[in-house]
Amino acid sequence: MKFPFSKRIDFTELDDKDLVALAKENKAAFGELYERYLPKIYSYVFYRTGNVHDAEDLTAKVFFRALSHIGNFVEKGAPFQAWLYRIAHNLVANWHRDQSRRKIIALDDYVVNSLKSDAPDRLTEESEERNQLLEAFRRLPEDRQQLLLLKFVEQMSNAEIGAIMGRTEGAIKSLYHRTLLALREDMNQTLAGELNRRQGGEEG
Amino acid sequence: MSTSADNHMRDLLDAITSRLQRGEAIDPLPVARSDDAQGELEEVVEIAGALHVSLKPLSPNQEFADGLRAELLDGPAGFFGRSRRMPARLSVAAILALFAGCVLLLLRRIFGSETAHEVPEEAVAAPL
Repeated sequence: MKFPFSKRIDFTELDDKDLVALAKENKAAFGELYERYLPKIYSYVFYRTGNVHDAEDLTAKVFFRALSHIGNFVEKGAPFQAWLYRIAHNLVANWHRDQSRRKIIALDDYVVNSLKSDAPDRLTEESEERNQLLEAFRRLPEDRQQLLLLKFVEQMSNAEIGAIMGRTEGAIKSLYHRTLLALREDMNQTLAGELNRRQGGEEG
Repeated sequence: MSTSADNHMRDLLDAITSRLQRGEAIDPLPVARSDDAQGELEEVVEIAGALHVSLKPLSPNQEFADGLRAELLDGPAGFFGRSRRMPARLSVAAILALFAGCVLLLLRRIFGSETAHEVPEEAVAAPL
């Protein structure tokens, strides 16, 4: 596709496909793709890593990698969005491998304490439950975390998620069902462990 | 191997989650095929609701967003620009390694030049 007067184009009106074609030679077009996907990629990486510093570092790496490889990107079924998420997924997977010797970092105060600021007990309790849920979320296998983020944070349809994860819609539905069952099991075990610990503490 | 009951539960859960995402009420829940299935449905829908509340889109810090945009569009930021994103311990290690490298070079320059003078004298004295 040719854009002879690309400097005058209002990039915000273009769809991803046209923007990607332009971005191969025009950095301003890449800038529009960056604006569109920065919050999405940042959210995705933040929930997968659990801290702002690594989320910013990995988000930057995703966009630098996308910029340096966009010339080779060819849309074959999977759109630009799916390609970008795959870059993010691979970088986060490498990050987790590098972190494997270190203990899991608690989610940032930004998320965990965001409900605590108003301070009533009810909010503190809700925040604790939320923290437990997010910790259980981060114990899930990578593909299940990815599915939940794409479904809840990005509000994607099963077809869109399937395009990113390379699965059918039916497989995504089944994986979602199994993921919620696994989360339920994990949280029940955590709750049982907590009760046992408290009972042990009272008896001792 | 998925059974018809599994598929039914899977489709019910998917439909309820879609309603949650659209902000629609999910009460009353659809009726599952058995009491056990109904119990399971209620529990997983509760978790889906909690995920819906907890996993929200986030926005990065504006300073970070503007800085990264500038780096991407205006060219490479160079060593100091990139080192800003390095973990603190890596930055310290990089500075120490740089310092040690400079010291080694300096030592080699000082002592290396002395040995360079000595070797030829011995070489001349040695029998062929």
